Amino acid sequence: MMIRDLLGRTTILDRAIVLVLAAAAVSLVFFQAGRPPGEKVIVERDGRVVFTAPLAVDRTVRLDGPLGPTTLKIHDGKACVTDSPCPLKICMGMGEVARSGDLVACVPNHLLIRVSGGREKDKEYDLLSR
Amino acid sequence: MTSSPDNPISREVLRRRIFLGLFAALAVALHTMEALLPSPAPWFRLGFANIFTLTALFLFGARAAWSVALTRIGVGSLFLGTLFAPGFFLSLAGGVLATLLMVVAKDLCGRKIGPVGVSAIGAAGHATGQMIVAWWLLVQHAGVWLLYPYFLLFALATGVVNGLVADYLLEILKGHPAFKEDRQGNPSSDLV
Repeated sequence: MMIRDLLGRTTILDRAIVLVLAAAAVSLVFFQAGRPPGEKVIVERDGRVVFTAPLAVDRTVRLDGPLGPTTLKIHDGKACVTDSPCPLKICMGMGEVARSGDLVACVPNHLLIRVSGGREKDKEYDLLSR
Repeated sequence: MTSSPDNPISREVLRRRIFLGLFAALAVALHTMEALLPSPAPWFRLGFANIFTLTALFLFGARAAWSVALTRIGVGSLFLGTLFAPGFFLSLAGGVLATLLMVVAKDLCGRKIGPVGVSAIGAAGHATGQMIVAWWLLVQHAGVWLLYPYFLLFALATGVVNGLVADYLLEILKGHPAFKEDRQGNPSSDLV
């Protein structure tokens, strides 16, 4: 009953718009899930590369930013930020990254951690046009 | 001379101004309160304030929608203390693109489109505008687009909810004497 009432408030065009947009978003999600696993982790600070490591080797590193050290952990082919001095801890909340093109950004600490594929030309791709 | 209650045109203008003022004030209030809600990322917003942009668009047209949206962003950021901070430009870009798309959609489709469809388009526009500015000004890396589908899905869900709320609000407002009178075209003198 409730749903029928809500549907009655939409026109056919409304439903079509919502469905098309939802389909576009869902297909983009699947599109991204199919990317190949990355091979190395690259950390940039203000556009300069400050650290590079292969994803296959487990290690924990301290990366210095303007706010202090950010801890990056590489484990089982995945990278994640385990500690950060930034106020909101969004970079820690972004979880693990493993696929080529994945990104963890800590904007307050000026750090950009990204996963790159083995082939050098990989990073030149625009992710949406792939 | 200026706003005589006997002059139906000036009363119409006055009523419109009062309602737009109310919409803008409520939109600012929602915009500010939303910032108090916990959220997974600073720009992950529910966009409830857009309900009033939608309502203004359906009641008074494109110009009214623009005034409500821009007032909401400007005054809301002033209250939050984020005016001209990075978040402000995200908010502004999202708001401008959302309002632009909503106005165009309403203009093109007219009666065939309801608040839900317009709201969904606006929400998608908001997410897109924010992503463009985030990519352009803050992150400057194409990888930021990885978040885009999730933003879009989330925005779409809140957009549909906001559209339904706006539809309820429009129904209530159109039942109000102030608007009934507009439709019949013969103003009664007991209403301001």
